[in-house]
Amino acid sequence: MAHSNWAEWIYVAVVVALLVYVGAEAWNIERIIDHAPEDAEIIKVTAQQWFWSFEHEDGTKEVGELHLKKDHAYKFELESKDVIHNFNIPEYVVLLDAVPGRINTVWFSPTEAGEFDIQCREYCGLIHYNMRAKLFVEGA
Amino acid sequence: MRTIFGLLIIIATLCIIPTLELVFASETPGEYIDRKAEIWNLFFRMMTVAFVVGGVIAGTMVWQVWRFRESNPHAKRTPYEEGEL
Amino acid sequence: MVLELARARPVWQIMFSTHHTDVGLLYLIFSLLAMFVGGAMAIALRLELFAPGAQVIGDAMDFNRLFTAHGTTMIFLFLLPSASAVGNYLVPIMVRYKDMAYPKLNAIAFWLIPPGAALVWLGMADFGWYANPPYSVISAPAPAAEMWIFGLKLLGVSSILGSINFIVTILKCKHPDMSIGKVPLLAWSFLSSSIIVLAAMPTFAAALLMLLTDRLGASGFFNPAVGGDPIAYSHLFWFTFHPEVYVLVIPAIGMMYEIIPRFSRRPIFSHSSGVAAFVILSIVAFASWAHHMFATGMSFTEKTVFMVGTLAAVPASAMHVFNFLATMWNGRIKFATPMMWAVGGIALFFAAGAGGVVNTAMPLDFITHDSYWVVGHFHLFVFGTIAFGTIGFVYYLFPYVTGRMYNEKLGVVHFILAFVGACITFFTQHILGLFGMPRRIYDYPDIPEWVAMNALISIGAMIILVGMVIFLGNLIYSTAKGKPANMEDPFGLGGKYYYPYEQRNPHH
Repeated sequence: MAHSNWAEWIYVAVVVALLVYVGAEAWNIERIIDHAPEDAEIIKVTAQQWFWSFEHEDGTKEVGELHLKKDHAYKFELESKDVIHNFNIPEYVVLLDAVPGRINTVWFSPTEAGEFDIQCREYCGLIHYNMRAKLFVEGA
Repeated sequence: MRTIFGLLIIIATLCIIPTLELVFASETPGEYIDRKAEIWNLFFRMMTVAFVVGGVIAGTMVWQVWRFRESNPHAKRTPYEEGEL
Repeated sequence: MVLELARARPVWQIMFSTHHTDVGLLYLIFSLLAMFVGGAMAIALRLELFAPGAQVIGDAMDFNRLFTAHGTTMIFLFLLPSASAVGNYLVPIMVRYKDMAYPKLNAIAFWLIPPGAALVWLGMADFGWYANPPYSVISAPAPAAEMWIFGLKLLGVSSILGSINFIVTILKCKHPDMSIGKVPLLAWSFLSSSIIVLAAMPTFAAALLMLLTDRLGASGFFNPAVGGDPIAYSHLFWFTFHPEVYVLVIPAIGMMYEIIPRFSRRPIFSHSSGVAAFVILSIVAFASWAHHMFATGMSFTEKTVFMVGTLAAVPASAMHVFNFLATMWNGRIKFATPMMWAVGGIALFFAAGAGGVVNTAMPLDFITHDSYWVVGHFHLFVFGTIAFGTIGFVYYLFPYVTGRMYNEKLGVVHFILAFVGACITFFTQHILGLFGMPRRIYDYPDIPEWVAMNALISIGAMIILVGMVIFLGNLIYSTAKGKPANMEDPFGLGGKYYYPYEQRNPHH
């Protein structure tokens, strides 16, 4: 019990320093990506068992697919009609729960044109595995 | 000396350069934060830290397990053992 | 040492016994049985996921029921009872008392488990072991959901009763000459995990009851259609189950604290550091639950608080890793089967922890949440650390329980297959998650990277399967016909089988 323990103290100090670094970096990046720009177009996303539907600001409705423009900012307002789903565009790291009874918001700006997957990332029953949609980014 | 220099390079790459980048990057309308790039950048920096630390710990374990195995020719009795080796 | 199976005893005598070694044996047999059942379920899942399209499971609902049963079985019917098995055998011996504090309660705690298991296995609910509403309230089919709820109620009560027993035994029944600081670290691990269970489990008991009344239509706690909040359940569930994962890992670390010093032929580097690390971990375990909820729409401040709480638990785990490495330093290590499992477990423990730190960095959760990264991460903990520690300890206890030695070569082969299989399966799952594959899905689209990685993961699972089959064979054969063990020193370590630090140590 009396042997010297200095190595362990240094080791713990290094671990704590690394964790502080991780925490600070994560906090900083989260802070930056959290603020939606004011000119972001609002897209209402409705999740239900087992498909996605979208409504643009101008009233255009889409089911199972979403057409956006490159380099514009979009803010998704997520809602659910039944159980918890999770709106996920893996390519653009957009991910947030659609919880019935509340509206969650997440924003992004697509940087590349193309065709991308939209999927559900919270177990919602029988066809959770196939609750998919397509994102089309048109751009010039 | 060389290890300290190497360490400073790593710290600069992981902390200082991204911070400066973020502080000095300016945003104009039509140009928004690239969510994907920021998040993946953070991810790769975290992976660097994790693999460096992991390499140290795993490397230590591998060396230890080899050096202190009882079949190692240099193996000697611990002070807590009695009797023949 | 008590030899369980050297002389045949009537089975009913063991079943009705309240002696701690008999109850320990019952827990041990049940938990190993559950491990093989849960493992078989996992193999079915991996066979199905080998390629896109239906393979061996025709219906998505069957798949959903299987992964729910797999998770529930492994956590509640394998890991928790196996820890209780080890604790029941050794805690009274370690504190130098004749039995557990409440022997009859001990037996009751065990016998609640088989009915709980029957309810879970016959019900086959489909909502994952998380059971989160509104799905579990408005959409999950009956009677599976109710059976799962009642089954878990029984298992929760069993856990609480067992914890009460451990706490009283260790704190109140320990030998008068033994101060609390001198209690061995394995006993300390049971004290810590039992205190966490007492503080955390009642919350889930409440949540289960609320889920049941919601399903019956008698309440609206979690159903937004009648004014409830589904996120409330998430808070209640994770307030229990984040500390619960520490309840799972802490006994396994304690088991490594038995194996590593013994096989290194050195005492633990710092007993007090081990105690401090267990105590800190038990407290900080309660500060991080909502890191499981980063994707639910929490505010920035909330997420930051829980990120800090999660990171705060890492130094305590790091202290254990340091302790193990420092104990092995300058040792003369015998790499018999238990030691291999313990050391392999530490290596995977670090990998699991590192992945967890990545998850808790808030923005990175947007990449990893509910993807196969999470699956790989927690399996590195529950399989790579906890099951490795447990299985290693089963090998270690084997001569004590049966009076015979298991086959050492087969034990080594089992370890190699499990370690290689675990690395292939669970590290690949991390990468698959980075490529975006969600968890809890029956089938997936024909994305080439997903297809390749899923095939690789399934192969890794088959490698683990081969090892486990060898394990089962080794256990059964060696119990019946194994060579009688040298009960003074079954592993040829020198010194007595138990507690070399019970002897007067000339250097301390």
